[in-house]
Amino acid sequence: MAKIEPGMESMLDMYFFETNSLLEQLDEILLRTEQANAFESEDIKEIFRIMHTIKGSSAMMGFENLSVLAHKAEDMFFVIRENPDVITDVSFVYDLVFQVSDSYKTQIEAIQNHENGEYEQMNFDELINKLLKARDQLANEANPNAAPDAKTENAAADASAPAVHTEKGKVTVRVFFEEGCQMENLRAFLLINTIREECSFLEFSPADVETNPETSKEIVDHGFLITFSEEDNKDYILKLIETALNVQSYEVLSGEESAAASSDAPKAELPPEPAKTAATNAPAAPAPAPKTAEEKNQAAVEKAQAAVANAQSGAQKQNLISVNLAKLDALHDIVGEIITTESMVISNPDLEGLELESFNKAARDLKKLTGELQDTVMSIRMVPLAGVFQKMNRIVRDMRKKLGKEVDFVIEGENTEVDKSIVDSLQDPLMHLVRNCMDHGIEENVQDRINAGKPEKGTIKLTAQNASGEVVITVSDDGAGIDPEKIMNKARRMGILTKPENEYSEKEIQNLILLPGFSTNEQVTEFSGRGVGMDVVKANIEKCGGAIIVDSKKGVGTNFIIKIPLTLAIIDGMEITVGDLVFTVPISTIRESFKVESGQIVTDTSGNEMIMIRGVCYPILRMHEKFGIETEVTNLEDGILLLVETDNKSVCIFADRLIGEQQVVVKPFPTYLSRYNIKGEGLSGCTIMGDGSISLIIDTNTLIG
Amino acid sequence: MTNEVIKEAVAKQQSGDRKLAADNSILGKVMTFNIGDQVYGIEIQYVTEIIGMQHITKVPHVPNYIKGIINVRSKVVPIVDIRTRFGKPEIPYNNRTCIITLNFNETSVGIIVDSVADVEDIHTGDISATPENKNVNTNDFIQYMIRGENDTTKLILDVAKLLDEQEA
Repeated sequence: MAKIEPGMESMLDMYFFETNSLLEQLDEILLRTEQANAFESEDIKEIFRIMHTIKGSSAMMGFENLSVLAHKAEDMFFVIRENPDVITDVSFVYDLVFQVSDSYKTQIEAIQNHENGEYEQMNFDELINKLLKARDQLANEANPNAAPDAKTENAAADASAPAVHTEKGKVTVRVFFEEGCQMENLRAFLLINTIREECSFLEFSPADVETNPETSKEIVDHGFLITFSEEDNKDYILKLIETALNVQSYEVLSGEESAAASSDAPKAELPPEPAKTAATNAPAAPAPAPKTAEEKNQAAVEKAQAAVANAQSGAQKQNLISVNLAKLDALHDIVGEIITTESMVISNPDLEGLELESFNKAARDLKKLTGELQDTVMSIRMVPLAGVFQKMNRIVRDMRKKLGKEVDFVIEGENTEVDKSIVDSLQDPLMHLVRNCMDHGIEENVQDRINAGKPEKGTIKLTAQNASGEVVITVSDDGAGIDPEKIMNKARRMGILTKPENEYSEKEIQNLILLPGFSTNEQVTEFSGRGVGMDVVKANIEKCGGAIIVDSKKGVGTNFIIKIPLTLAIIDGMEITVGDLVFTVPISTIRESFKVESGQIVTDTSGNEMIMIRGVCYPILRMHEKFGIETEVTNLEDGILLLVETDNKSVCIFADRLIGEQQVVVKPFPTYLSRYNIKGEGLSGCTIMGDGSISLIIDTNTLIG
Repeated sequence: MTNEVIKEAVAKQQSGDRKLAADNSILGKVMTFNIGDQVYGIEIQYVTEIIGMQHITKVPHVPNYIKGIINVRSKVVPIVDIRTRFGKPEIPYNNRTCIITLNFNETSVGIIVDSVADVEDIHTGDISATPENKNVNTNDFIQYMIRGENDTTKLILDVAKLLDEQEA
């Protein structure tokens, strides 16, 4: 057990957030470049930078093992960066880096779950040894004559070419860090690392920030001086400084003053591009087969695209902040209360009968503003599914390697937005499903696929779309499909059948796999087959109010269809009353509403009422009968009919009267009620209306079905 | 309170050791309320708040003791009528009728009671276990009892059972 250093707890959250986003960035780069099967120098630099930042911040937080691990990975990439052509066997580098990234995630998770600051410290020795070996190997390949360098920093120092610079044409910047941010020296060091890439010449003072914590005080008192060449991209560097973590302010000093300042302080010179010399050696190293011109072109295009993408993501980052979800929940509740209070004020009984022209005007303005406020708060909580979907990429990649199955992974509709809390609870189920598709779905033997007339490469598709107030997510594969025979055999053996076998429809048989303890894979593998998967998937999805359906055809493939309600989604609803209850019908499903005359009603022999509209006959559904509500309006002519339609099924709903159109926030029914079959009977949730009363939301699908 | 604590308290009362038997320390607090003539109690850690009666939105397809849902500061809370739940005749709600909202395992539920009585301490010496007789209808929901003055008995509800029960 290791202990988190006291005084660091306050910074833990920041560290987790920063490191996790860096690791995600790393995974993204790796996946992207692995597909292109080549490291671009930009990517290598980026990976190097990520490792470096993680190393610095881990050291700062006192997580030594993480810092060492990052350091070794950084070492390896240092070799690669200086000798971009060295990698002959790319895949093993990828495997290593993925392992590093995974080790990080597990260790960070362990730290996150710490108890009283104690956490389990993991041993990375094996991985570190592998990294060392890889580095030496790479270094040897790059330069057979040179002995493998022990340390990057040393290597950099040794190789430092005499810095060529003139006194003029230098820019000196004095940086101040946020008051009380602690560890100013390491922050300064991180800052230097951030801008180093951009500078052909770089000096800073105090110089020994990395090793000497005493320098913190000096930095607090006098600021941190950075000097770089004017020829560099000054604006960009300043921007980097400005946006760096914990930087409070900076000032650009004039050339002379800076010279004076830096002469006081110990001086340090960082070599421009540390090992330019090494890089020039590279062509002498055993070069891999030259790329064809075409490949080069393609690579260039991809690189340009990546650069554009990077620039865009860089621009976006500036506009994003991370907020604690609990705060958003609180905000959301308060907005709800404001709206309730607002209507209490505006329709206060004390105001009755008064002529209040300006009050009414002010009230209207207020109403408009609170409406906007509510909309904004709702939209804040909505996040795209892209993040979760991207993670699946990684899973497919790992399993593709391990299982040796050739699979294309297709993602569609990743921009569909869902409430944040739902996105979080979707990750595990999706992971299980994707794994199942890889493991059970796609055929073991390529020949089987060819025999079945399918392309050699399997396809796993992950799609999301909005459909009538729900988000529908499908995970599908074009693999072997579910064999009803096998399922039935297994179910028989386990004795989970609840009715005679011949009464099971194919759909019911398929959905048996969602039962606890059901797994047909004889062999339990690393990925699936423990029989805990599918029922956990089902439970997780149902927990957030969703449903999962299996739709499979033997020999063709399997679809898992997940339907998730938009918990906090705002829908346009039509309010109708039945007795003393108010219902909300999603406007998207309403075709028309009308009064009816007795002549239009047709009654069949079993007493079912129907109505003929423009030559089409629609059944009439009396809401008060359906939901057992007492109402005075039972005569069809006194009430109103709404023609609603979904999935090509239509029905006329009979209600007492229409109240009007309103945007409503869908809330799920309380969990206490989830054991009763409310959702199966035509209600999808409820909503709190402006006056604080509750309206029930009609689910047209189950109402008709 | 866990069943172990209750057993221990009962055991103490019956033990021959005088010092143990005289132990009358405070184990917690209960909120008491009336249903008809009977006083019931709920341990205070489960109680979120007491609110007056308000309009309850009915929900279809639920047992008759679930009266519906209400809006408590933008949260939708289901309401159970304790009278109906315990098989007692319904009486019209009056201005003493209250809704007590409870929270157990992140589940919020409101219960309708005739009137709220008091908040009082639980003394070790007052606790008695429920009889091992399953013929009484409401017995299932009573975790233990507290003896009060004048030979009155307060029935303390088992919130876990009340909220987590499976449909009978």
